[in-house]
Amino acid sequence: MSLMSLGLVRGVIGQVIGTIVGFLLLMLGRLIGGYEEVWFAEGAWSLGAIFGVIGFLYGVGALDAWTKWMGGVFPPIHHGPIEGEPTWTRYFYPDINHKVIGVQYGVLSLITLMIGGGMAVIFRSELARSGLQFLDPGLYNTVISMHGWATLAAVLIGIGAMANYLVPLMIGADDMAFPRLNAFAFWINVPAVILLMGSLFAQWDSGWTMYPPLSLKGDVGYQLAAYAIYAIGLSSILGSLNIIVTMLTMRPPGMSLFRMPIFCWAMLATSILQLTATQVIGQAMLMISLERSMGMGFFNPNSGLSDLGLPTGIPGGDPILFEHLFWFYSHPAVYIFVLPGLGIISELLPVFARKPLFGYKWIAMSSVAIALVGFLVWGHHMFTSGFAPYLRTTFMLSTMLVGVPTGVKFFSWLGTLWGGKLSFETPMLFVLGAISVFLLGGLSGPILATVATDMPLHDSYFVVGHFHATLFGGFIFPFFAAIYFWYPKITGRMYNEGLGKLHFAIMTPAFWLMSIGQMTVGVMGMRRRIADYDPALGFGGVETGHQVITVAAFLIAFSILVMVYNLFNSADVGELAGNNPWRSRSPEFQIPSPIPEHSFPTPITVVGEPYDYGLAGSTYIQMAPALAGDD
Amino acid sequence: MFDLSHNPSPTTSSSDPRHFIIVGVLIVITTVVLKILLDWALPLPLQASVQAITIDWLFGLHIWLISFLFALVTVFMCYALVVFRRREGDDGDGEHFEGNTALEIGWTTAPLIFVVIFSYLGLTTLWDVTATQDNELVVVAEGFQWGWNFYYDDIPNPEMVAIEGVLVLPVDQPVLVRLRSKDVLHAFWVPEFRVKQDVVPSIPYSTMEEASHDGEYPEEKMTEIRFTPNLVGDYKLRCAELCGLTHWNMVKDVRVVEQAEYDEWYESNFGEAATALADQ
Repeated sequence: MSLMSLGLVRGVIGQVIGTIVGFLLLMLGRLIGGYEEVWFAEGAWSLGAIFGVIGFLYGVGALDAWTKWMGGVFPPIHHGPIEGEPTWTRYFYPDINHKVIGVQYGVLSLITLMIGGGMAVIFRSELARSGLQFLDPGLYNTVISMHGWATLAAVLIGIGAMANYLVPLMIGADDMAFPRLNAFAFWINVPAVILLMGSLFAQWDSGWTMYPPLSLKGDVGYQLAAYAIYAIGLSSILGSLNIIVTMLTMRPPGMSLFRMPIFCWAMLATSILQLTATQVIGQAMLMISLERSMGMGFFNPNSGLSDLGLPTGIPGGDPILFEHLFWFYSHPAVYIFVLPGLGIISELLPVFARKPLFGYKWIAMSSVAIALVGFLVWGHHMFTSGFAPYLRTTFMLSTMLVGVPTGVKFFSWLGTLWGGKLSFETPMLFVLGAISVFLLGGLSGPILATVATDMPLHDSYFVVGHFHATLFGGFIFPFFAAIYFWYPKITGRMYNEGLGKLHFAIMTPAFWLMSIGQMTVGVMGMRRRIADYDPALGFGGVETGHQVITVAAFLIAFSILVMVYNLFNSADVGELAGNNPWRSRSPEFQIPSPIPEHSFPTPITVVGEPYDYGLAGSTYIQMAPALAGDD
Repeated sequence: MFDLSHNPSPTTSSSDPRHFIIVGVLIVITTVVLKILLDWALPLPLQASVQAITIDWLFGLHIWLISFLFALVTVFMCYALVVFRRREGDDGDGEHFEGNTALEIGWTTAPLIFVVIFSYLGLTTLWDVTATQDNELVVVAEGFQWGWNFYYDDIPNPEMVAIEGVLVLPVDQPVLVRLRSKDVLHAFWVPEFRVKQDVVPSIPYSTMEEASHDGEYPEEKMTEIRFTPNLVGDYKLRCAELCGLTHWNMVKDVRVVEQAEYDEWYESNFGEAATALADQ
């Protein structure tokens, strides 16, 4: 078996070739156009990025079905590993099985998370003490920008993991509605992450928010980052489309919408957001790219692109336009980030409390309510931006409103725990950790929602504390809970419970310390995105706070390494799990572990409620009896 | 709804009022303890403006709300984790109840009421801290990569620039700072004054440059920030919007002084230019 037989390797080669094709196209165009200098970095890397992604997709084989179809042959869907190759190679190729794709998303998410987390460990080391120790300010700004987008990419990709692995299983479906599209949507993320890594080396210094006019100057890393984001967004859109169609058209008999597992409702709400809002950030990134490479006058009132060696464009651009475009997606984006995780919390609590999910319909509707109201609040990121003053009022009101459906979830979770028979295996620990951390993050929201109190806190470390707590509580903790919970279904073995508890015991207090540290130094007056700070700031000095945050960050990173070790090691030596280690009523736990190629050998019928734990004699699903002669 | 007939557990029913009495007491205690802890853990800087008084008042109210809501959820949760934990050898299920519509309506309406109250307070405080005052001292603060210029006029008049680049202000005098940028986004923030405003470039700097040589000033949209310093002292103005390489060190001194000292400084800094301005 040669390296070249791996789809991933062919993909990377395809990306390199595609990038060069992009360069050549740009240079050819400039040659024909009579430009003095045939090489132009901004344009070259833009076209290089685009053709690089296409080249990767072609190389890995994600375009095979369509190219064959264009040639007149409609290829059948291939189930199972590649013939003549070891089974594991299917994970490096556009396999169409949603379970394989789910694992691919999951592994890519963890890798990207460690890249983003690695960035944090780097700059936290710099910030532990006042004074510039080893990071020059330009590199510092790039590292924080990379931390932002790499971790957010990890979140979006991790959502793809949970959605694609779980949704078909939870509705008893054999696969997603569009399996080839599913594989394609996964594989776009790989060249995107490669582009993002490239942007680290090329450097870009604006923070993840890419505000112009700053993002219209400086190094070409902006182009690479812009197209990486565009590609990740495209994956998000295609994946969400698939989820919605699958959920609406492939449910089994008896599974009305209000009899779906609650995670499906969470993914429905999330997918609505992904499908409709992501386009806007793609637009914003394109506009940044074109303003940089062609001098189009969207955002820079100066349009004095003399920094980049271009003739001055049309003056009159508005930086605030970018902020609106950016946040119109990026606020719904944060609900994309947390709704699935909140769905995981709702999904797991009944199993470990052994009683029904409290107020299922209200929880389902609250996800949709958060998604819809979430479209109306983006201006709260812009209270100090200088936009029309009356907008501060409307956005303040809508922002506070979105706390109401979120509260419904919290109270419903309490109702689920109350009167239960609670056990505390690792997935449950992470769910409880998620609730406490998301509570902290959520409660630090209203103080940012009222404009007067937002003024001293905007762009301070308090906001950093707020969004890390909401992201960890809404995604990271639930994602880890989900990994531990469904690990036996994926691998057929149990993870090591002792190591799982160790992971939790290190990560949760460390995260609490980190959040409080961040909020404290922020209230004291520490700004965000600064390479160094005045140690005299704040009562008793802000430096202590920073040391606490840095130590906590290192502990969190270490605990994640413990988890990664556990996941790898247990796949080899873990205890065999059996079908249903958690005594769950959900469909995926009624079939063997690891789940076979065709998950459900016979169709299922829904005959009861999903969460009727404690109701004697109740069943959720029934598998049809196997017909004679079926495998 | 609270059907226990199939669940012969020796523990008390989850609807036993004693649970709620204990939880209620614990919530009250926890709220107060949290408020004290949060006040200690989240210390605001010195209060040096009239606006800071309003903002800190609302901040304190938020801390009460946070303390109460945090106590409410965590006390119920921790209580449940202890009281409703599975006992050794008990493989049974928990109590089977699916929901309670009255509770759902209750815990949707109560937060809505809080939202209405805080919306009202949010509005009044916003108007309070941004209201136009009489007799405002107008200064133009110009942000650039990576420093500030202060012009003591309502336009960036280079003859009225503060020579040492220090923003000197008289105490108890309402100030309107008009903000403009030469290049990228910046933000004006003195933590002790609390208020903050982004600095947004609005016209090509080349136009600004040419114009100022001719003594004419083109129309430009400047963002505005208002505050009334009420405590004499030395503070720092720090840029609060990432603006590139030296954003971290884009810091200038702000001095709030008595009116007499301000007048002296004004005279020595601007001298003739000030007289000429006054004569116009």
